[in-house]
Parts: sequence; structure tokens; C-alpha cells
Amino acid sequence: MIERRDFLKGCLACGVTAATVSVASGKAMAAGSFEGYPDAMGVLVDLTRCVGCRSCEAACNAEQKLPEPDLPFDDMSVFKDKRRTTEKAYTIVNEYKVADKDTLYRKIQCNHCTEPACLSSCFVNAYTKTKEGAVIYNAKVCVGCRNCMIACPFNIPAYSYSSPLNPLVKKCIFCYDTRLKDGKPPACVEICPQQVMTFGRRADLIKLGHDRIQANPGKYVDKLYGEKAVGGTSWMYLSSVDFDKVGMDGHIQNEPIISNVKDFLGFVPMVLSIWPALFTGVHLLATKNKDGHHDHEEGDHQ
Amino acid sequence: MKQFLTRNPNTQIISSLRKDDDKGRPWTLMEKIFLGLTPQQYLSQAMSNPLNWIFAVIFLIGFPVLIGRYIFGLSWAVGDPYDNAWGLFLAFGLFGMVPLSSSGFQLGSAVEVFGRHDFEPIERLGILNGILGYFFAVMFLMVDLGQPWRLPYPMVVSWGPEAVLFLVAWHVATYLSVQAAETSTAFFEWMGWPAGKTFVKKMALGLAVAGIILSTLHQGALGALSTYAPGKVHPLWYSSSFQWLYFFVSSLPGGLCMVIVVSTIAVKTMQWRCDDTFKNSLSKLQIALAKGASMGLITYLTIRLIGIAHDNKWAYLGTGWGAWWMFEIGFGVILSLILLTAGIRNNSVALVRLGAWTTIIGVVLNRLNVYMFTFNWQQGHVHIPPIREIIITVTVYSVYIVTYRAILYRWPILFKWKTRYSDYAVLEPQPAAIAEAEAASSK
Amino acid sequence: MHAVKQKMILGITGILMMLVSNVCFGAGIPDKVSIGSIQKYYAPVSFNHAAHINRLKDCGLCHHHTTGAQVTDPNCARCHKNSGAQPVVSCKGCHVADPFTPEALKQQRDQQPPVYHRDKPGLKAAYHISCLGCHQKMNGPTGCQDCHKRNDGGDAIFKSGKHAPKAPAKPKTAHH
Repeated sequence: MIERRDFLKGCLACGVTAATVSVASGKAMAAGSFEGYPDAMGVLVDLTRCVGCRSCEAACNAEQKLPEPDLPFDDMSVFKDKRRTTEKAYTIVNEYKVADKDTLYRKIQCNHCTEPACLSSCFVNAYTKTKEGAVIYNAKVCVGCRNCMIACPFNIPAYSYSSPLNPLVKKCIFCYDTRLKDGKPPACVEICPQQVMTFGRRADLIKLGHDRIQANPGKYVDKLYGEKAVGGTSWMYLSSVDFDKVGMDGHIQNEPIISNVKDFLGFVPMVLSIWPALFTGVHLLATKNKDGHHDHEEGDHQ
Repeated sequence: MKQFLTRNPNTQIISSLRKDDDKGRPWTLMEKIFLGLTPQQYLSQAMSNPLNWIFAVIFLIGFPVLIGRYIFGLSWAVGDPYDNAWGLFLAFGLFGMVPLSSSGFQLGSAVEVFGRHDFEPIERLGILNGILGYFFAVMFLMVDLGQPWRLPYPMVVSWGPEAVLFLVAWHVATYLSVQAAETSTAFFEWMGWPAGKTFVKKMALGLAVAGIILSTLHQGALGALSTYAPGKVHPLWYSSSFQWLYFFVSSLPGGLCMVIVVSTIAVKTMQWRCDDTFKNSLSKLQIALAKGASMGLITYLTIRLIGIAHDNKWAYLGTGWGAWWMFEIGFGVILSLILLTAGIRNNSVALVRLGAWTTIIGVVLNRLNVYMFTFNWQQGHVHIPPIREIIITVTVYSVYIVTYRAILYRWPILFKWKTRYSDYAVLEPQPAAIAEAEAASSK
Repeated sequence: MHAVKQKMILGITGILMMLVSNVCFGAGIPDKVSIGSIQKYYAPVSFNHAAHINRLKDCGLCHHHTTGAQVTDPNCARCHKNSGAQPVVSCKGCHVADPFTPEALKQQRDQQPPVYHRDKPGLKAAYHISCLGCHQKMNGPTGCQDCHKRNDGGDAIFKSGKHAPKAPAKPKTAHH
């Protein structure tokens, strides 16, 4: 008798927990799809214009007060390897020699997704998608689990592993603190001599991108990469060749990364609610002995 | 200890609350820690154990490297793995050890929920296996996290509830408490605090059900974590719909077989510590556990195949990775099934024990494959962790083994703690039970 | 005497007319253009306008239709087929130096109807897309410093020259 009462108290506790957790995670379960903040800014990156001058890398380094690079920014020998963003380089340019076409260059940085995977995977809510469009990071709460690095489909966040006392995630923040908050374009966009990057509202850039494709028949692949990829990204790309040939995943999913885990997350409060009764029932069915009593009704067994 | 006891056969290893003479004074904590030996005797028996020499070498090399990780930063230990952010500490220490520690909720529920009290001799070992595995998984986390002092942050500082890791953090924290409570009965007996034991015993059913709930969710969640990176895990190891089920179902045979393996090691290397009940019932219980494990394994094999059919990934089986997949399934699942079922059929505990080894290796290999070896498979090279990372992993795992052994030496896990009626005078047992207890203790 | 004087007046008048017409037609066409807006990082560009005129002859290659050339781009011809010469012909007359300020973006958004020159590059881009594009096709100078040498500010931001990083002890490049 005593056991059952305690047990029912346990059930109630579980039920309350289930309700709390389902309220807290209700955002993930009940929401439809998020189309983006209406005035979110974006950047259209035209790969046909980039000449690989690396001015954007230099500007970013200066604007974000990054550590000294290993090589000067006018050193083109870096193109012999395919690089990725690091704790010291929030944006880099890679060179792609495509058969039958000229050499193309691609600028790589955080794409500031509409429903970012990094944000969806962070258990301390360190990431925020601002209404200006930037995905920013709160260094004060980051524990260093690096789930965001696992989740990002573009492999952008870099962890400052070399810091013993304050290692943090480092990535492009769309120059939010110094520029985007005031509506100004980021440093890389401003310095680019070829206007590889066009800055504006994401919604306007989508129209612009498609217009540009239409105005230049045959010049571009008829796809605005990032319009739909992983739920839409603020930084979108135009290319004259297949995106797979310039190191991008042409088969990336259109659903945001969080949709991969929504079903499992929705299952959580179900288990919290159903398992107690289910296994109590199993217990009652399994442990009735011959004279119809349960073992523990007669007192504790050691 | 075995050699020591052979040389000194009349030594009384502490197995009871009180000294076994007329006065019956309770053992002190220090005496209990040294098992009734003098400190010199204890040290001499420890030195003569070759395993301890191996541990000494591991710790001599490993502890400085472990401390170096904190002084010089993570990159000194693991390099700068930007693309493979999770290495051996997590793939082995957390993802590998947690399914093998599912024995806690399985044995706990077998006894408390399903009423199978015949499993009681091995129940405490299953529960201890559970809590130690989770505790050391958290220790591995403390090594891996960039800022481990911020571990409580997802509880009390900043919530990110849409993250699967949030669920894992909360569940592991809650589940550790549940397991601590379940383990505490052995601890309270050892300390001689009967009130504590009685208090916990009252919650046994609730704790067991809580254990099932929490384990279902976090074992599954550890699999769901990989669904954040669908393109990065090789398709043969990834299922968009069923990943969490793969991990949950495979944790069941993993935990049961870990108990078989540990109990086998215990009965062979710590025979002096196991009481007759344990020794006599072990073979039968191991075969019973094998029955459960083999059902888990055949289910797991089926759902892995269903997952491949569901996303039509058969073509991958013809590749190099496909061959590796067939090795993982062939060795870890199919061979294990053959050994376990042959052992059950022929009542051969030796075959069952062998099958238990192949099962736990298979489960750990699967976790290493999902989170390390096939991770970023499209980049064309397998991430091999640097040597310091390997050293630290071996070191922490050795601490786990040493802790496990220390508890098994002392606490009443493999044997029943002898008490007298007077120890329980605060309670009111039934008259029949008193007479029974007196009769038993006077034997 | 009378006939010589008449020829002389005719001759001088003729020369004067040619001079006037030449001066009138050539009025305002600079031989050299110094582009100094880049002084933050580069020394000014000394652009040899005369040489380009002599070499290319077709003003429309750079100035669209504004100097009177025929419109060739079908996207432009839709509206500018008969536009002809304009009072403003310099690049900076239409291509703004800062195309992405909030004000510039708002101006572009607010134009009614919102269809004209939506994809107009800024001034810096207009120079580079036009100049570099042609140089790439005609084997002209394509390096950054071929047209404008970096000053100390430029070396500083590019971490080059005397601002170059010291050789690292262990070269670390993060690549896949």
C-alpha cells in the first residue's frame, strides 16, 4: 500500500515534468515552418564575379579583430588546398578549377540560415537568429559541447580548441555588432571590388537573383542556392557551373535540420506520459501471485 | 588477493557489519576499506597483482597527459578537429559506454516491475554496472567539454529545450540520481545505516519505472543526435526515421551482455568475494540474460535491415564501407546471435560468455562507426584520433575499472551482507522473519 | 595683294573653325583620369583615358549609350533603344560609391515602379567589372596592383609587406 502511494506520487511528478517539457519544447513540436523575419537582410553571392583577390578575408580579419593569419592575404598559394573556416578565419575563399570553364572562386562563411542547425542543436540557447537576419552567438553561456559543429551542414562553426581557459565557437556574425544592427553592410561586402556580394533584404535578393539569371541567359545555373536549402539561408549563391563542382552539396535537404529531430522530440512527452501507466500495468499483471495478492502488500521484502 | 588468500587461508575478509565474535563490535570504516587486512597486508597483496602493475604504468603516463589537457587546452590533447568535432572521448566514452550501462534499468525492472526475484543475485551488479558506466560517461564529458565547469548551465543558467542534447543532459542527471538511489541500498548496508536502506527500498518500484522512462528516452536521444548531421554519417549507419530506435534497441543486449561479461570476470578473478548464492546461480542467470540479449539482437538486426530497405540503400553494400558494415553486423550481431543461441540451446555458459563479448564489442563498434569512423565519410579519409586523445581515453577507462573493482571488493554486490536482527531493531519485521533471521545467522 | 589677303582670311577662318569644332567636340574629354577614392588602401589610379579611346574607339563599351553610342545589351534596349547622348557621362555620375547604405537601399526600394536599374553595380564594382572584364578578354593588366599600388594602409589590411606575419613555428592550415 505504501509503495503504491509513493509510486503514484512518482507518476504525478512524471506527468508534471512531461507537461513542463512539452510546453518548453512546444515551439519545436507545434510550429509550422518559419519563413524568416520580414526585414531580414541577406547577401547574394555571384560566383561568376569573384576573382580570388581575398580582400574579403582581409576586411573580415580587420573588422572582427581576428588574430594574425599564417600568410598575408595577398598570398595566392593558399589556393592549392581547399580550406575551411577556422577559429582565426571567419571567411575564406577557395579556388575551383572546373573543366571547360574558367577557374571559379567561392567565398565561404556562415550562411545565416533562417532555421539554423546550430541554433536547433544548442542546449544552452547560445545562438540567436536576429530580426536583422544575422545568426549570432552568446559566448557567456557556451559550454563547449560542439554539437553546433556537428549539426552545421556547411561545416562553418570553428572551436578555439587552443584556448585553455576560454575556448569558444568562432564564426561569421554578419558584422552584426559593428554594422548590421545599424543597417550597414558587412565589411566583406563593402570591400569587394567586383561586388561579388549584393546586400539587401533577403526577400528582395531572391527576386534579384532570379532576375539576374533571366537577364543573362545561359550564364548561370538556374538555381539560387540557399533560397530553399535547409529551410532557406540569408546568404545565397549564383553559379555558372553545377554547385557540386564548387564544393557545395547540390543534394542538400530543403527542410531545416531541426525537422530531422522533431519527430523524436515530439515522442519525449509521450513516453513521459505513457510509460508510467504502461509499466505499472505490466507490473500488476506480472506480479499477482496465486492467491490474488501482490508480493509487497504483505510488507517489505528484503 | 587470490594469491594472498591462498597463502593466508585463515584471513577473514569483511563480509558483515560486525566482527564475528562474542562482542560483535561494528567494523570501522577504515577496517572496511582495507577489508579487514592490515594496511601492510593490503598493500602487499595489491603489489603482487600483475594487473595493478599495468594500471600503474597507465596512470604514470596517463595522469600527466590528462592534467595537460586542462593546462594547455583541448587542442594539446585532441588537435584542432573542426570537421570532426566529436572524438574518442565522446564516441567511446559516452556513446560507447552508455548503452553498455543500460543494465541498471533492465535488471531493476526485471526484478521490481516484472517481479522476477530470481534475478536478485545479479540485480545489484546490474545496477552498479549502470551507475558506474553513466558516472564515467560524465567524466569523459568533463574531459571533452571545452568549458566543463559550465556543465550545470543547461540546468540552471540557460535553456535550449529544442536541442536533443538538452534532453540528454536532463535525463542523464535525473537518471544518475535514480541509479544512485538504487545503488545506495548496497552502500547503506555496508555503512550500517538501515534507515537509509529502508527509505530507498520503499521507492524501488517507482525508481525502476523512472529508470525505464529515462533510459528509453536518452538511449534513443543519443541516436537522435546523429540526425542533426544527416549527410555526414554514412547512409548504412544512418536512418532518418529510425536512428533513435537503432540506439535504444541495441542498448538492451549491450547492457545485458555487459553484465554477463563483468560477472564472468568477477567470478573468475574475485571468487573469494562471491558468495555461494552468486556462484551457484550465475550460470543459470547468465543463460537467462542471454535469452533477453538474443531477442534484442535479432530485433536489432531486423530493424537495421528494415532501415536500409526503407531508404533503399542496398547499393551501398557493394562498396568498401558496405564491407565494413557487413563486418560490424556479421561479427557484432550475427556471430553473437549464433554464440548466444547455441549457448542457450546447449546450456553452455562458455558459449554464452563468448557471445556476450562479441555483442559488447559490436555495440561499441557501432557507436564508434556512427560518430567517428564513418563521420564525414564523404571527405574521403577516416579521422584517427591523436595519441594523447587515446592515452587519456585509456586512462579514464582504467580509472573506471579500478573504481569498479574497488566497489566490488567491498560493497555487498557479489555477496550478501551478514547482519543480525538487532541491527534492524528500529523496524518491525514479522515474528516469522525474526526466527528465520536468527536461525540463518546462527548457522 | 587683295587675292593673297582673301586666301589668308579664308585659311585662318578655316583653321579657326576646325579648332573651334575640335575644341567643342573634344571639350571635357579628359586624357587622364585620376581615381583617388581608394586612398584608404591604394594609391590613386592614373587611368589613361586617351589611350583607351584610341585603342577601343567605341565609347559605348564603357559608357553605355550616354555618349551617343547605340545600345547593344537587349536588357537595356527595351527602354534605351533611342536614348542617345546624356549630359552625365562619367561613371560616378550614375554608379554610387556606397550602394548598400540604408539610405541607398531604401531609395532603390521606394522607386515607383520598382523595376529600373535594380541590379546596378556600385562605382567600385562598375570600374572593376568593366575594366577587369575587358582586360581578362584582351590580355590587359589583371593584377590588383597592376592598376593601383597598395599604400601602407593597404599593406596593413592585407597583412603584407612590412605588416606581414612572422613565419609561424608550426604552419597550421585547416583544410579538409
